[in-house]
Amino acid sequence: MNPITRRRLQHFRSLKRGYWSFLIFAAIILVAALAELWINQRAIVVSYDGRLYFPTYASQYSGEEFGQDYPYEANYRALKEQFAAPGNPNWVLMPLIPYGPDESVYREGSFPPYPPSARTQHYLGTDPLGRDVLARLVYGFRIALGFSLGLMACTYLLAILIGCAMGYFGGWFDLTGQRLMEIWTNIPFLYVVIILASTIPPAVGAPARIGALLAVMVIFNWIAMANYMRTAAYRERARDYIAAARVIGAGPLRIIFRHLLPNTLSIVVTFIPFTVVAGITALTALDFLGFGIPPPTPSWGELLQQGTNRLDAPWIVASTFVAMVVVLTLVTFIGEGIREAFDPKKFSYFR
Amino acid sequence: MSPLLEVADLRVHFPVGGGLLAGRRRWCRAVDGVSLALAPGETLGIVGESGCGKTTLGKAICRLVRPTGGTVRVDGEDALRLRGGRLRRYRRRVQMIFQDPAESLNPRQTVGQILEEPLRIHRRGGSTERRRRIAELLDQVGLPRGAADRYSFEFSGGQRQRIGMARALALRPSLIVCDEPVSALDVSVQSQILNLLLDLQDEYHFAYLFISHDLAVVRHMSDRIAVLYLGQMVELADRDELFAQPLHAYTRALISAIPVADPEARRERIVLRGDVPSPIDPPPGCRFAPRSPLPHGEEEAARPGRWEEVRPGHWVEVHPATTGDLLPEA
Repeated sequence: MNPITRRRLQHFRSLKRGYWSFLIFAAIILVAALAELWINQRAIVVSYDGRLYFPTYASQYSGEEFGQDYPYEANYRALKEQFAAPGNPNWVLMPLIPYGPDESVYREGSFPPYPPSARTQHYLGTDPLGRDVLARLVYGFRIALGFSLGLMACTYLLAILIGCAMGYFGGWFDLTGQRLMEIWTNIPFLYVVIILASTIPPAVGAPARIGALLAVMVIFNWIAMANYMRTAAYRERARDYIAAARVIGAGPLRIIFRHLLPNTLSIVVTFIPFTVVAGITALTALDFLGFGIPPPTPSWGELLQQGTNRLDAPWIVASTFVAMVVVLTLVTFIGEGIREAFDPKKFSYFR
Repeated sequence: MSPLLEVADLRVHFPVGGGLLAGRRRWCRAVDGVSLALAPGETLGIVGESGCGKTTLGKAICRLVRPTGGTVRVDGEDALRLRGGRLRRYRRRVQMIFQDPAESLNPRQTVGQILEEPLRIHRRGGSTERRRRIAELLDQVGLPRGAADRYSFEFSGGQRQRIGMARALALRPSLIVCDEPVSALDVSVQSQILNLLLDLQDEYHFAYLFISHDLAVVRHMSDRIAVLYLGQMVELADRDELFAQPLHAYTRALISAIPVADPEARRERIVLRGDVPSPIDPPPGCRFAPRSPLPHGEEEAARPGRWEEVRPGHWVEVHPATTGDLLPEA
């Protein structure tokens, strides 16, 4: 590894707040990635008639396979109660939270939202549709994070390509590009999203809707980053190592990708955490307004909306709020740490 | 012998200010009509003050800046019209050593990657062959082979310049443009680098276009020397001839400014008036006239000098303000 990069990483490690935030956030991501194992209506292990079943990641097992009288997917919570009867050799190991994110659970004699309760294992209660809030928080976080990372990847790819090309080639290409970008930034993003959300026919499935939303957000988000990359490329291309690359015969693409980009990458790295935060926040806001990811996909924005509509069930809005604050604070601390560690004034190649 | 490099009336003018709506554009005449020829294996030194267009001249020959006029021929081929594959072949023949080795080496690449880059671009051999060539190049410039795995900023200034030299050598060029290759280095290291340049030339017989502001360095390196002033060549002669009999007042002033390591030495020191005029809107007529210590009339100053071969191989700008009485104005 490049010794400067190594020093920067060491410096990042020494910044306690950022480093610990990074570790905690990494742990949260890991836990969320394995959410199926601890928040799920499916059992982790079922022992039935001497055979072991692992339904978590496997295909569905119907109730009939476990000796029930229904052909649809087995209800493992019911199975567990049934198998718990004395003398029954079968057993079920349920996850810590035995509810799925899209699963409505109704109790007889009362209407959801149900308050938090350790007895029913709804540790953060349920939403007005009887779905477990913790499950929706974790799965919603996973989706938001994935969406945000995908958004970042697409945005950065576009921004780096266009920004570097503009900075490197300069001249008319740069001028025209800048003017187009200025015009483009004046198109109101929210209107486009609203128009999009209302014109896509309801028959279109969720993946296509998410894809369309991602595309629109990429189209509106790349410009800021492209400006940074353009400036960086503009500055770097005047340096002699770029001239040296041209003298040995490197073409524009090779110069941009092998010479310019590695030297401007610390800018990109610095922005990554903030972009992730911005992505999560933007998606939450859109979901809150109802223009984001279509229901019933779990999302923080939807939870916030439900929570603010049902202030008599404060656990919904409170837990979502706390989750948001924790995640956004952690990522901001990480970003702060990275920004300081990658400060070019600290560890420079040129002294 | 047919020349390796032939530059004729080369002009590099940069637009200054102006723009889409501004009226008249002004031009910075960095190089304004330079002609020179270079034989294979020869070293031509280019001297001049900062801002006289030395570097721009070198960059134009390396196709780093686009000339606004004139021609550059290498082996009879018009270098300014080359594109694509032919330009890439031109790159193999003409290489450059840069002034500041810290700036001209990509800090994100190891020395091995830096040296491999030209070999990759020009598809020289497979990876084992390339590795062998990199080791060979490191040997040639006197760097340990282990340097290939380290980054350029881990080396000292002199060592970095050796890396830059190895990169220039990688494609076995026939002409190397050296743009002030030692001026960023400690004096103690300079002579090592200069002698290495000479040794390499002895071995591989490439020509140098050696650009420097330091006359002593140029004297050490060059067969012939050209003196540049404000984008124009004012004197061109064999090294010994130029130092023995400088004709142009500017050359004489430069030579008189070379420090001599003898505190007792009494010399006539020619001090020029004022600064180099701006290459934006340079003085009309003889460009040197406003600073000339020689007596001349105002009308004479408004006339340009003549570029003349006054002795075999000794060219000079003949003008009352430049050569004065040394040469009768024909």
